[in-house]
Amino acid sequence: MNFKSRILGLLCASLGIATISLAQTPTDGLMMPKGEICIAVVYENSSWGRYWEGTYSRENANIGTFTRQMLMPMVVGGITDKINFIVSLPYVKTAATGGQMAGVEGIQDLGLSLKAQVVDKALGKGKLMGFTNLSFSTPASNYLSDYMPFSLGFGANELGLRAIGQYELDKGPYLRASFAYLHRGTTEAERDFYYNDGAYYTSTMDVPDAIHGQLALGSWFLNKKLRVEASLTTFRCANGDDIRVYNMPQPTNKVDFDRIEGFAQYYFTGGRGFGVIAYYNHMFSGRNMGQFSGFGLGMTYQFKAF
Amino acid sequence: MKKYFYLIITLLSSAFLLNACVEDLPTQYEYTGYEFADLDPNAGQWKLVIHTSNEQVAIPTPPQTGSSELNRELAEAKQKIAAATSAQRESVKYWTNNPLLRWNEIALELATKYNLIPAPNPDGTYPSPDPANPGKYPLFPYSHPPYTSRMLAYLSVAQYDGLIMAWHYKYKFKREAPYQLDPQIKTAYESNNLFSYPSDGAVIAISSREILTAMFPLEKEYLARMAEEHLESLILAGINVSSDVEAGKLIGAEVAKTALARASTDGMRNAQTNKAKSDSIKNAAKERFGWFWENQESPQRPVGLAPLFGKVRPWNIPNVEAVRVGPPPAPGSAEFNKDAEELKRFAANLTPEQRRIANFWNDGLNTYTPPGHWNRFAKEKTVAYRLSPVRTARIFAYMNMAIMDAGISCWDVKYYYHYPRPIQTIPGFKTILGTPNFPAYTSGHSTFSAAAAEVLSYFFPTDAAQFRKWAEEAALSRIYGGIHYRFDAEVGLEQGKNVGSYSVAKAKQDGID
Repeated sequence: MNFKSRILGLLCASLGIATISLAQTPTDGLMMPKGEICIAVVYENSSWGRYWEGTYSRENANIGTFTRQMLMPMVVGGITDKINFIVSLPYVKTAATGGQMAGVEGIQDLGLSLKAQVVDKALGKGKLMGFTNLSFSTPASNYLSDYMPFSLGFGANELGLRAIGQYELDKGPYLRASFAYLHRGTTEAERDFYYNDGAYYTSTMDVPDAIHGQLALGSWFLNKKLRVEASLTTFRCANGDDIRVYNMPQPTNKVDFDRIEGFAQYYFTGGRGFGVIAYYNHMFSGRNMGQFSGFGLGMTYQFKAF
Repeated sequence: MKKYFYLIITLLSSAFLLNACVEDLPTQYEYTGYEFADLDPNAGQWKLVIHTSNEQVAIPTPPQTGSSELNRELAEAKQKIAAATSAQRESVKYWTNNPLLRWNEIALELATKYNLIPAPNPDGTYPSPDPANPGKYPLFPYSHPPYTSRMLAYLSVAQYDGLIMAWHYKYKFKREAPYQLDPQIKTAYESNNLFSYPSDGAVIAISSREILTAMFPLEKEYLARMAEEHLESLILAGINVSSDVEAGKLIGAEVAKTALARASTDGMRNAQTNKAKSDSIKNAAKERFGWFWENQESPQRPVGLAPLFGKVRPWNIPNVEAVRVGPPPAPGSAEFNKDAEELKRFAANLTPEQRRIANFWNDGLNTYTPPGHWNRFAKEKTVAYRLSPVRTARIFAYMNMAIMDAGISCWDVKYYYHYPRPIQTIPGFKTILGTPNFPAYTSGHSTFSAAAAEVLSYFFPTDAAQFRKWAEEAALSRIYGGIHYRFDAEVGLEQGKNVGSYSVAKAKQDGID
C-alpha cells in the first residue's frame, strides 16, 4: 500500500445519503483499504410544507408539515484496497402535523453495494480517480408502499449502476461527478385495482426506473481531518404518471427532483476512531413529491478488522 | 482499465434488459368470446324494467333469406372480413360475444377517472362541478359512490331492457346468423343457434354509448369512437350483417332515451345542496338527537357529499322509510364507548391481515368505488358461468338497481341521523384510510356490499357464502381503517341485505332463475 492510498484509506468513507426513501447512494470518491471497517449511524430529519402535484406546487392543510425521520446504521468495509462493500438498513418514521392520516414507522430497505476503484492516476497537480458502484436494495419489512406520502419507501427492488469520477488537487480541492441508472422492479399494493392513466386490474405496480446524477465541489482542510462539500443532485424517473388533482401520490408516479446540499465530515483523529458528519439539503424543483428540506447528523467509527 | 469499462457496459445493458422484461400489467379482464351455457330463448318474455312492451321500439321486418338485399349485405360483410386489418381483428377479440362486460368495464374506468374530490380555492372556499360547464375545474362529474351507483344502474337497466327486446325480435324473426347463411363466413366466436336480427351487440354499443355520454359528457368523443369500433367488429366477427346492426342501433338508442328520461327527473340534480339547506339538515339532526356530523378537513368542506341523495327515486324499494334503520347509540353512551375503544385498539395494533382487508376494500377516491368493485365480481362470475348476454344484463340490472337503492337508503340514513365520524368524536384519532365527506351511520361500503351480495347470492346460489363473506369483509374493512364504528358496519349490512331483498323479490316475478 503506498502512502497516498493509506492516508485515504484511513479516512472513514463518507456516506452520500439521499432522502425520499431512496436507498443509500454511495456517490463519494473515497475508498477503504483492505480490512478496514467503518460503522456509521446517521440520523436524518427532513420535512416539507409544499409538494409538487405533477409540477404544480401546492400546500395541503390536511397534511400541514410532513416530516420524515430516518435512523440509518451502515457498514462500509474494504474487501481489497480497490473493492469496498457497503451495507445499510434504515429505520424510517413519517408523520404529518395536519389532518388525521396516521404516520408509519419501521425498517425500510436493506441496501447492499459494491464499489470498485477503476482509475487512480496522477494528473497535473492532483489525481484522477474513477469508481464504479453496483447497488441493490430490497424492502426489509412488509411496509406498504401504496400509502403515500407516508409509506416508508417505494417497496420495490432496485438495482443501480453508478459511475463516479473525481479530480482532486493535492492541496485539497476536488470536483466530482457521478451518474447512476436505477432499475426498479414492481411493488405490491393491497388493492387489486388502481388508476395509472387508465385502469389496472392487478395489485402489482410498476415503479419507474430513474437516473441519479450529482456534481460536487469540495475540499479537504486541517490536514485531511475535515472535508467540506457542496453538491447538486438531480433525479429523474424515466416514466410514470402524475399525481392527479388533489389526490394521493402512488408508487407509479414519475418522481423528479433537483437538490442542493452542503456536507461536512470531520475525523477527530485524522484516521481510525471516531468521526462526525453533518449535512443540510434543500430541493428547489421537483415533480410528484414533497419539497423536502432536511439535515443529517452522523457518527462514524473506523477500525482495522483484518 | 479497459476491462472495467467493458464491465460497466455489460452491467448497464443488463439493467436495461431487465427493464424490458417487466411483464405487461392487465388493464382489463382477460376473457374471450365463449359458448353460452344457455341461449335463453324465452328472454323476450322477461319482465322489462322501464318499458311496458317488448315491441315498444319498432324495428323493420328484416330482409328474407335469399333476398337480393340480404345477399348484398352478406357479400359486403365478406368483403369487410377479407379486408380486415390486424388491429380490426384484435378489436373483434377484445369485444367478444358478450360485450356488455366490456362496456361495464369502460364505465368503471370512467367512474375511476372522474372520482376526484374538488380541491379548495386559494381563499379556502370549495368549487363544485357544474353539469352545464363540465370542462371547467372541478370537472363534471365528481363520480363519487352515489353517482357511480346511479350511473351503473341506468346503464344496466337500459342494456337489460334493450336485450329483452332484442331477444323477443330474434325469436320472432328467426333470422340465422351470417356464418350460418353463408359457409364462406366464419364466426370469430363459438357458433350457436342464436338468431342475429337484431344485433344484440349493437343494442349494447348504442345504449351504452348514450347512457355513458350523458353521465360523462367530456367523454363523448371517446365513447363514440369505442361504439364505432364495436359496431364494426360485429360485422367483422361474422355474427351480424348491416341490417342486424341497424335494427340493434334503433333499439339501443330508444332504450337509452327512456332511461335518460327517467334519470332527468329522478331527483339527482338536487342531491348536492347549498350550505343553507345542508345546515338545516344538520340542525334538524342536532335538535332531534343532540349530535351532528361535521367535515373535519382543512379548510372545512361546508357541505357534505350529496345530502339529498336519499331523496332520489329508487328502483325497487317502495320508499326510504320502508328500509330506514333505527338510531345509532349516542356518542358517550356505553355502547358507543365500547365500539370507540375497539377503534383505538385497532389503530394501535392492526395485524397485517387487517391492514390488507382495509386497503383491499378501500375503494375511495380515484377508484371505481364499492359499486364498481361489485360490478367487477359480477363480471367475473358471468364469465365463469358462461352466461348469455341477456342473462348477464339481467344480473347487472338487478344488482345495480339494488346497489343504487342501497345508496339511496344509506344516504337517507346518513343525513337523517347525521352521525359524527370517529375522527370527530375521538380526540387525536388517526386513521389509515381517508375519512369520506359524509356522516358515519350507516356505512356505505356495508350497505352497498350487502345489497349486491344479496342479489348475486340469488343469481349464483352456489357462491352465496362467498358473496356474503365478501360483504362482511367490506364492512369490517372500514372498522380496521378507522373510519367507521362497528355499529355503522353491522347495521349497514342488515340494511343492505334488506334493500337487496326487494330487487330479488322483483326478479323472482319472472320465475326463471
